[in-house]
Amino acid sequence: MSITLSGITKRFGDFVALDNVSLEARPGEFLALLGPSGSGKTTLLRIMAGLDFPDIGSVSFNGNDITDRPVADRAVGFVFQHYALFRHMTVAGNVGFGLSVKPRRERPSKAEIRRRVDELLELVQLKHLGGRYPSQLSGGQRQRVALARALAVEPRILLLDEPFGALDAKVRKDLRRWLRELHERMGLTSIFVTHDQEEALELADRVVVMDHGRIEQVAVPVEVYDKPASAFVFDFVGESNRLPVTVSGGKVLFGTIALEGIAPEIADGPGQLFFRPHDARLTDPGAGVPASVSLVRPRSGAARIEAHVDGLDLPLELDVAADQAPTPGEMIHVQPTRAKLFPADQPIASGQD
Amino acid sequence: MALFASPRRRAIGGPPWIRAVLILVALAFLALFLVLPLVAVFREALRDGIGAYLEAIKDPDAVSAIKLTLLTAAIAVPLNIVFGVSAAWAITKFDFKGKNLLITLIDLPFSVSPVVSGLIYVLLFGAQGWLGPWLETHDIQIIFAVPGIVLATIFVTFPFVARELIPLMAEQGRDDEEAALSLGASGWQTFWRVTVPNIRWGLLYGVLLCNARAMGEFGAVSVVSGHIRGETNTMPLHVEILYNEYNFAASFAVASLLALLALVTLVLKSALEWRYGYHGSNTGH
Repeated sequence: MSITLSGITKRFGDFVALDNVSLEARPGEFLALLGPSGSGKTTLLRIMAGLDFPDIGSVSFNGNDITDRPVADRAVGFVFQHYALFRHMTVAGNVGFGLSVKPRRERPSKAEIRRRVDELLELVQLKHLGGRYPSQLSGGQRQRVALARALAVEPRILLLDEPFGALDAKVRKDLRRWLRELHERMGLTSIFVTHDQEEALELADRVVVMDHGRIEQVAVPVEVYDKPASAFVFDFVGESNRLPVTVSGGKVLFGTIALEGIAPEIADGPGQLFFRPHDARLTDPGAGVPASVSLVRPRSGAARIEAHVDGLDLPLELDVAADQAPTPGEMIHVQPTRAKLFPADQPIASGQD
Repeated sequence: MALFASPRRRAIGGPPWIRAVLILVALAFLALFLVLPLVAVFREALRDGIGAYLEAIKDPDAVSAIKLTLLTAAIAVPLNIVFGVSAAWAITKFDFKGKNLLITLIDLPFSVSPVVSGLIYVLLFGAQGWLGPWLETHDIQIIFAVPGIVLATIFVTFPFVARELIPLMAEQGRDDEEAALSLGASGWQTFWRVTVPNIRWGLLYGVLLCNARAMGEFGAVSVVSGHIRGETNTMPLHVEILYNEYNFAASFAVASLLALLALVTLVLKSALEWRYGYHGSNTGH
């Protein structure tokens, strides 16, 4: 089922949570809403679910406008950040809840509900835990119960709010893979909210990067990483270095040093140059940015270098081949090999100016 | 005593003798102000023997007072459950203007003297009150009659359920209700199958306190009752009348029933706390 959001604006008092947001999720797609806290990603998810309603704009499923329809009519599965399991019901009671509240003529028999609950518990690999209460489960198990409960009503759309936020790293990784498989097996359209860029890049078909109630970029993970649409996206997704530069007469200047091989994509004036740690090489004195090495750490097949540049608060982070690694204290000259220029006034994610 | 000498706790409690003194002071205080009067009530009630005790309770005026007290509680408590749950629901699950005002107003009966609460109703419904003449022409009696007693009791007891539920429901948030709705449940189903089970122990606790107060209220009820024997006397008022007539044994016999109610409430409350680990201490009352 496709989801179309057009021109969504949502305010909470004076706070603009969403500012004219439009987005389309294709049928069968696995979409990540990625952004820092306060970027509006959870509000957007809740508006798709019908748990919040937009001040302006519309929501359609498969082309049918459902903007004013409440959550109960939308047939979406929603998994809450803290799972919201009913604490007074067993696991089986939780999973069967959606079936047991159906209007009498649509409601399956008790035996049928029990059969479906068993099926779902098998699906989430918790078959033996039907009689337990939520408080007796681990975080990962609760997460899977919440999923089984959401899937019981056979939604075509699955919405997940920070699904892995409260889990430890190992469980998180397993659950991710499992969720991806489940999504494909059941032919769902799934959208999940996360502030973890690694999670978004690894799991989603497309990533929606959000900041301050606006969408910064919608693209496949590779493109978000390799071709960030704004300074914010470059800074927020993946590791990056940022250099204040000046563009003048077709040249990119750091101080008085001209940086070779970088297209001056923006108008003359101040700019900010971003590059990844692995997109730089060390050159001879006279070219590149001079920096003094403060730290060298081994990485698989390479060395991670931290080097201080005069006038910058944060050190540059660079990955170079292990056999070319300098020693701490040494002066190096850094030449970005692949970089992206943005106007200096574009906001970034971290407060590093 | 091992409790006082435990070295692990000494760091917190200071020297053992301070702990001992504090515990003894607390116990002595309780004995003097709670246990002693309670013993006295039962002692006085049974002074003339069990026969006189039963006689006093079976007296028609006493029976009538007991019935009126039960009737009043039977009306006030359910109404306050409805009011308390609605108010707590509105305050914790919705955002609206005037929310803080509502919270303050709920506390009003706690901060107003019960006598004043009673007088408000006299001013409103009494013969010289605002609505007095209208009520008189329609032959409706509120003050010095059962309706007045019920109204005053409802007013005095309405904070109990709401006060118990507001912190509990605020802590639980809206997620569970939203989850139920997202699974296709109606508002009604969500309330009965998710909200009520989530708040049931807090609700029961509030109901117990509300009931104890409804049956034991003196001040406000005294103002509106008119003290008509066999008609508008509740148990606390009946105790007072008997006492003023120097009929001590009968007075204490009826009082012992109220004391028993208090003890039962206390036991149930402790049982609830012990069984379900629910603590009323976070509610402020």
